[in-house]
Amino acid sequence: MLLEIKDLFKWVNSGGNRIFLLNDIELTINEGDFISIMGPSGSGKTTLLNIIGMLDDFNEGEYNFLNEPVHTLKEKYRANLYKEYIGFVFQSYHLIDELTVYENIETPLLYKNYKSSERKSLVADMLDRFNIVGKKDLFPSQLSGGQQQIVGIARALISNPKLILADEPTGNLNSKQGEEIMNLFKQLNNDGVTIIQVTHSEKNATYGSRIINLLDGMIV
Amino acid sequence: MIKNYFKIAWRNLIKNKGLSFINLSGLALGMAVVILIGLWIYDEVTFNQNHENYDRIAHVLMNKTSSNGDKRTRFTMPFPLGNELRDKYGDNFDYVVMSSFHGDNIISIDNKSLTKLGGFMEPDALRMLSLRMIYGDWDGLKNPNSVVISQSTSKALFGDINPIGKPLKISNLLDVFVTGVYQDIPFNATFNNLEFIAPWELYVTSHSWVRYARDNNFWDNNSYQLYVQIADGRNMKLVNAKIKDAVYDNLSGNSKKSHPELVLHPMKDWHLRSDWKNGVNVGGFIQYVWLFGIIGLFVLLLACINFMNLSTAQSEKRAKEVGVLKSIGSSKKQLINQFLSESFLVVVLAFILAISIVFLAIPSFNQLADKQIVFPYKNILFWLINIGFVIVTSLLAGSYPAFYLSSFRPVKVLKGGFKAGKSATSFRKTLVVVQFAVSVMLVIGTIVVKKQINHSKNRPIGYEQEGLVMIGKVTEDYEGKYNVLRSELLNTGAIENMSESSSPLTDVWSSGGGFEWQGKDPNFLTNIVTVCVSHDYGKTVGWNIAKGRDFSRTFSTDSTAFILNEAAVKYMGIKDPIGKTIRWNNQDHKVIGVVKNILTESPFQPVKQAVYMIKYDNTNWIELKLNPSKSASESLAAIKTVFNKHAPNVPFEYQFVDETFAEKFIAEERIRKLSTIFSFFAIFISCLGLFGLASFIVEQRTKEIGIRKVVGASVFNLWKLLSKDFITLVILATIIAIPLAYYGVNNWLDNYEYRTEVSWWVFVTVGIGAIVVTLTTVSFQAIKAANTNPIKSLKTE
Repeated sequence: MLLEIKDLFKWVNSGGNRIFLLNDIELTINEGDFISIMGPSGSGKTTLLNIIGMLDDFNEGEYNFLNEPVHTLKEKYRANLYKEYIGFVFQSYHLIDELTVYENIETPLLYKNYKSSERKSLVADMLDRFNIVGKKDLFPSQLSGGQQQIVGIARALISNPKLILADEPTGNLNSKQGEEIMNLFKQLNNDGVTIIQVTHSEKNATYGSRIINLLDGMIV
Repeated sequence: MIKNYFKIAWRNLIKNKGLSFINLSGLALGMAVVILIGLWIYDEVTFNQNHENYDRIAHVLMNKTSSNGDKRTRFTMPFPLGNELRDKYGDNFDYVVMSSFHGDNIISIDNKSLTKLGGFMEPDALRMLSLRMIYGDWDGLKNPNSVVISQSTSKALFGDINPIGKPLKISNLLDVFVTGVYQDIPFNATFNNLEFIAPWELYVTSHSWVRYARDNNFWDNNSYQLYVQIADGRNMKLVNAKIKDAVYDNLSGNSKKSHPELVLHPMKDWHLRSDWKNGVNVGGFIQYVWLFGIIGLFVLLLACINFMNLSTAQSEKRAKEVGVLKSIGSSKKQLINQFLSESFLVVVLAFILAISIVFLAIPSFNQLADKQIVFPYKNILFWLINIGFVIVTSLLAGSYPAFYLSSFRPVKVLKGGFKAGKSATSFRKTLVVVQFAVSVMLVIGTIVVKKQINHSKNRPIGYEQEGLVMIGKVTEDYEGKYNVLRSELLNTGAIENMSESSSPLTDVWSSGGGFEWQGKDPNFLTNIVTVCVSHDYGKTVGWNIAKGRDFSRTFSTDSTAFILNEAAVKYMGIKDPIGKTIRWNNQDHKVIGVVKNILTESPFQPVKQAVYMIKYDNTNWIELKLNPSKSASESLAAIKTVFNKHAPNVPFEYQFVDETFAEKFIAEERIRKLSTIFSFFAIFISCLGLFGLASFIVEQRTKEIGIRKVVGASVFNLWKLLSKDFITLVILATIIAIPLAYYGVNNWLDNYEYRTEVSWWVFVTVGIGAIVVTLTTVSFQAIKAANTNPIKSLKTE
């Protein structure tokens, strides 16, 4: 078991009313899973993903990640936990415009204090793996959307995480590029990486092993 | 519409309380500084303008060439010059006024006596200075036994009555009666402290040496001042050229050697351009007027720039508003108006705050700058200038955001793709570098001024100031009472010793030439300070004998002996001076001792060559060394009793030598204080600029910071990332500032012959200080940004 969520609630108070963003979520995810979270706009998909990624907090409930109770952990320890085990992929890629492909991929390693030589070999491996060695000195703006997303995935994978969280990773891509990315995810999953993706596309959802449908913050 | 503009403007102000406050207070402070500097400059440049004919009045000075070719500018004139100008060049002048040097005199009526500063001047003085007469008229000095007094003197002596015709005594000696009372001369005038004017004629008849000069038409002695008012329509320079040789032409023989040339120093320059170098006017305080004027403009500019920066830093937030307004049909012009009204609102609020600051700060500013500036709330011109100032400032500060923000393309900004260009950032960076360079220069300047003052304060003065008191022998009442005063004072136990001297310890009153010694170059025109002292002088002031011995009563020959200071030994070039003979005034003087230099004049100049000699009948000052085992107040009370007994009509007035000495630093201390304050403001305003830049950059890099955080950056990582750029900027600013500051302070220090060194640690300290200040300022923004939850900044999709 990779993570487990029990009786999780998240709400905001608006003018005296309590509005539930997430309502009594129960979820268990095992290593090697490929989960697709689906649901209409505003159903709480991204919020759930952010909570799993420890970027957002919740009001009630339990969240255990690798048997660590995340809800009781201190900020610093939690940060170390997600730095170690989680990688993010975004709809709009979120690469740093001022850095080259190589530097973008390298950034997470800098924050984990890898030595220069280690960084070099890890980034080189990654460039090799995704066939983008020739593009390593380009800036994000010089790449197509699909290529940017590949760099985004490479960056997420560089620190060898157990879990990849992807928020509509193909949302900004055309269908051909989208297919490529989904195949890449499939392949990663086959290599043993757990993946949770948020998607609107039924087709993309079929790549996964399990679909979670959300409606108004509840799993249906 | 306009109402709407201000409504939105006001709500924006309230919404961003923190930023608005910084923006407003920064601008207000900048404006307050500018208004204060403006008032100060106005006060400086209107100095002496209370005299109606101030643009035609001049002080006559004289350039004399010394044997080494140097020209020295002197204030003293020969007696016959007044009449000479009147007789030979009369059509050039409205008035020619001979005057004594102004000094403290005792003014007494039956039961009261006061020490007042005044002088003896020819009758036209009242007309020339256009004194505002309360009683009497401008003919008040025609009678040789008259006196005109200032209003406050009149009040102090007679109360509120009309004192015309009342008798007075000057120096307990001269009987005069009051013929006029004039309104006190304003504070920002050279003659401000002139409390009485007595007729020149009285001065002549009451002083034998002046009478001698008159009776013998004596051109060879320069002891008087001369003021002129040139005739209407005359050009001062042309008049000056005509009278240039008026003294020279009347000299003969050796006296011609120094080739005196007359110079007219116009009244409008007395205050601001009073420095002379080699016979040429080289400015003076005007350089500080310029300096502070430039600083004032700079402060305003910086404050405006910061205002722009902070406004545009919010541009991304405001961009959405612009997009919405444009898409519902607002024209570019209306948007510009919107933003200009916003800036106008802030500037008006800042101005109200600034005026309040100025109003509150004026008293302490006056104290600091030694001014009597009043808040000119009745002056329409002042308010008109200020209204113009507000309009210009709001245009200056508001134009950039107005034109910049209003030019956004609505579709682009609504889609969220808006991002300020790189050029905007580099523009801001340049401004921050400039601001910091100026601050660093000011701080270095301030430190060097302080260092120079300390350097001069710590130099050896050659005597003991502790418990040393000086009393001026302002009247004849003290004459011939040396021994009786001394023994009675010693008997009280209040003092350890007493002496007398011709010059005070804190000045040089006489110097002269005509010294001859063996081995002297016959063409060498000597000029040596001469100090007449009593036998006890050395022991009283605690001078240090370097060679030979002090004066002693046991050697009767000491009455013609000389003691030289070390500077004199060097000046004369005599090796082993003890026992050598110096001929002066047709008499041989044996050198019995050499003392370490006593610092009497400027602490920023080398000590002049001086000779000390015994002479009891030519002393003007009494020195007392208080008994250290008694309290000063107790001792002074005992001393007062003795003095009152022997000079009953003389007010007992004394000065502590160390206090008088400290006054030598007043000008430098004032510069130090002003520059400290301005440096503080410059740093403060630069920090605001930095803060603005930091918030702008953080705003720009929000997304990047979010991404970095998601991929694992810690707060510390991000703080380092954000601060690094600023440190680079500040180091750059410091590198630019250091050579400029070095040049500037060296230039300033060149004014002083006794000067400190500009050490490297000054620059290092200021550089480190700048970095620390930068980190403190930037950290606030950086840490705030680093702590922001990244999902907020990445939620644009």
